[in-house]
Amino acid sequence: MEPPKIWREKRERYLALGMKCLDCNKTSFPLAKYCSECDSGNIIEHKLADTGRIVFFTQVTLAAEEMMSYSPYALGIIELDDGIRVTGQIVDCKYEDLHEDLKVRMVFRVLSSDNNEGLIRYGFKFKPV
Amino acid sequence: MNNKDIYVIGYGMTKFGEFYNESSSSLASKALFESIKNSNIAKEKVQSVFFGSLVSSTNSQPSIGIACIRENNMSVPVTRLEAGNASGAAAFHQAYSSVLSGLYDCVAVVGIEKLSDYINNETIERILSSTIDFQWEFEMGATLTSLYAILTKAYMKEHNATLEQLAAVPVKNHKNGVHNPYAQFRREISIDRFLKAKRIADPIGRFDPATYCDGSSSVIIASSKFVNEHTDIETKVPILGLGQASDSLALHHRHSLTSLSSTENAVNRAYKIANINAANIGVAEVHDSFPIGEILAIEDLGFFAKGEGAKATENGETAINSKITINPSGGLKARGDPFGATGIAQIVEIVEQMRGNAKERQADNCNYGLTQNVQGTGAMTYVSIFAQNEVKK
Repeated sequence: MEPPKIWREKRERYLALGMKCLDCNKTSFPLAKYCSECDSGNIIEHKLADTGRIVFFTQVTLAAEEMMSYSPYALGIIELDDGIRVTGQIVDCKYEDLHEDLKVRMVFRVLSSDNNEGLIRYGFKFKPV
Repeated sequence: MNNKDIYVIGYGMTKFGEFYNESSSSLASKALFESIKNSNIAKEKVQSVFFGSLVSSTNSQPSIGIACIRENNMSVPVTRLEAGNASGAAAFHQAYSSVLSGLYDCVAVVGIEKLSDYINNETIERILSSTIDFQWEFEMGATLTSLYAILTKAYMKEHNATLEQLAAVPVKNHKNGVHNPYAQFRREISIDRFLKAKRIADPIGRFDPATYCDGSSSVIIASSKFVNEHTDIETKVPILGLGQASDSLALHHRHSLTSLSSTENAVNRAYKIANINAANIGVAEVHDSFPIGEILAIEDLGFFAKGEGAKATENGETAINSKITINPSGGLKARGDPFGATGIAQIVEIVEQMRGNAKERQADNCNYGLTQNVQGTGAMTYVSIFAQNEVKK
């Protein structure tokens, strides 16, 4: 886990900031230099919607090393109320209770931690409303 | 013979499996020499070697190419290409371009991966994280398997497909793999084994994914000028058309989760160059790393209408010598999946089919054969089309 990378991503991960194009009004995530619709560089930060719905979900039982301690966990593609889609974990629920179109809210959590350096990567996950 | 025509003139591969006493360079050098031997040319005639590999291995340097040709006592330009699970096909496409451009007349392509060195499955998931969106899928908790689970759910919902239909893919591929001497798993597996297995990422079961293993595969490709000058060459399988396309890296940015647009765009380009269409293809090797991979492939390549692939597979329409022969080698599922070696192993199988050498696996209709190699969840797809005989374009 690299401190410069964690620092660089803090606005997207900690504040859930995506971007909005001032020329075509397209909103997208993550941040980029140019609009994904019209290539304009005339962009501002856009705060992602707090709530959304589960499009598809699954349960991860075999996770990568740094996320093994959380497994098994639910994971899904979430469509936020502003139309932006992201991938995220669905927490504070029983897997059996999940279903497509379930309303979820963004929550701030630990994503993974580095056992060697003691660094922690925070970011957003989702929980049923 | 058209001056622009380019041929596969030799092929070879190691058995796929777990080889703890072999290094990645020793496996690669074996496959390379096999293909040179098969082409009946002297190794000095090979002007350059292109390697396809995702990680090589723990005990070897990433510049696997130079380590390999040292074992073969060769000193030619080497290039290593990385395109995730499609690294083998990427190297093949690059090698083809080098001959098409006139830079070389005869080059070798080697696909190599040595994965048994990674004894933890969690490490393999970490390696595969490079094939998906690392920041916004992997670091958010996704794995390649979990994303294929989402693709599976999306297809099942859209087309009312069943787990039985999906399980028909690995059942068929293991049946084919019995006859493949290079395959890691040469045994049939009953549909019940798949259906009753523990779910590792709902709805994907324990036995559904292809297994990561060791192996290397190689082909020699040459210009028509070279083929004309070397009369000892026996294998002359024309490369008719190639196509490559890309798509959003992250699934959540895709317009559709029930088809891979990179496959559609790649194959359309390849069909156009080859001047044929899906109906002409008699045999194909497709990327069945998960059952849904093969279902989407046979639809996106144009062999079956959208939503018909799962039913067609259950009805046996993709078995050897049915409507179309899909994965006669056993596919990634039975052959095993050493990432970089898979794309070239697919080509080796199609070349064997074109030459009529596939014995029990032989497809009767093999005027044209196709390979489809996919990176990650379809961010990149490489399609290659081969012909049995020379074709006037």
